[in-house]
Amino acid sequence: MKKTLYIFSLVLATVLSSCDTNDDGFYNNVFVDIPNLVTIEPHSTTYTVGEKLYLNADFSRYQNENGTPLDLFKTTKASEFAFSYVIEKQIDANTWEVVYVDNNLLDVVKGTALNGSYVYGLCHLNTVDNTYEYRVGFPLSTSGTYRLSFGYNSDSNTSVELRSESPATQLILNINSLVSGIDGSGYYHFTVN
Amino acid sequence: MKKLLSLLFLVSLFSHAQENNSMSQKKNEFRIDVLAVVLSNKASVSYEYFFDGYLSTGINVNYSNSSKLNDDFENGYRNNLPKMELNPYIRYALSKSRTSYYFAEAFGSYNSGDYKEIIRLVGTDGNAYYTTQKSKYSDFALGGGLGYKMYIKNCIALEFLVGFGSNLTNKAKSPDVISRVGINLGYRF
Repeated sequence: MKKTLYIFSLVLATVLSSCDTNDDGFYNNVFVDIPNLVTIEPHSTTYTVGEKLYLNADFSRYQNENGTPLDLFKTTKASEFAFSYVIEKQIDANTWEVVYVDNNLLDVVKGTALNGSYVYGLCHLNTVDNTYEYRVGFPLSTSGTYRLSFGYNSDSNTSVELRSESPATQLILNINSLVSGIDGSGYYHFTVN
Repeated sequence: MKKLLSLLFLVSLFSHAQENNSMSQKKNEFRIDVLAVVLSNKASVSYEYFFDGYLSTGINVNYSNSSKLNDDFENGYRNNLPKMELNPYIRYALSKSRTSYYFAEAFGSYNSGDYKEIIRLVGTDGNAYYTTQKSKYSDFALGGGLGYKMYIKNCIALEFLVGFGSNLTNKAKSPDVISRVGINLGYRF
């Protein structure tokens, strides 16, 4: 009985000493709203096979927030901002399938893009003009009905979330940025013929 | 057979009384928390004074410089970094034996450390930026705990303790909960 009590006490003490605070959290994150940092390149909603759908970002490191320019780089020391989006193709009335293409088929003009279950885009800081830049074309190789959304890593329908790739111990800036051209459900619908 | 059992019983009682008498002569005890050293890089030293009867009182001093806590603080996984604790306590023994017994304790805790918050500043160039600002915090907590203590050779103490308290005056900056969890080794004299 005593032995059991000792073992129980030891385990309890070990467990409880590891959780001696309820103050854990993420205290290096800053959240701001800055609209229209990412745009879907203007185009009619009808594309032809072989065309590419371009997404662009070209925003200054100084962004208006509450009437004052906010220095994104000074806040984060980040030379990159990440965001994600998904392109899906309609299979039947209620089924949409993520479109996969090899990374080497993406037309990466500015920034970096990796394609998997979503496209992971990185806007790079251009130190010449102090802007974060991204321009990547997604190849549309088969005809059909498509949609694009920014909601894969986001709870918002109408905006894209950009997150600074900050060095360790620096603040992480999360920018909620309204995107124009998407519907109330968070989709940009288009067809490819 | 009856006589033999009675004799054994008397010997046992006598020996127990002798042990209790021997322990009651020793009023002072120093301890260190080996669990805190091993798991938390925390130095935790305690002193306890034993009154006649079931009551004792003492003080516990902790100093923490845990690299894990420091890293968590710097990386933003926590916004405070406890460093110093001064915990006066009073205990009541729940068992009759003085060589191994359960006890209940009430404690206070003056605790302090570093606190970090995010602030928005405007630089000389007129551009705003967010940054972190560190400051010190201190707070006072009250709490209680339960423990078990046993003695080897009537002088080497081994103690298990589990207790929690709540900070009272500066919860915005200090940890909500103060814990007194440990495995202590000590010497009674």
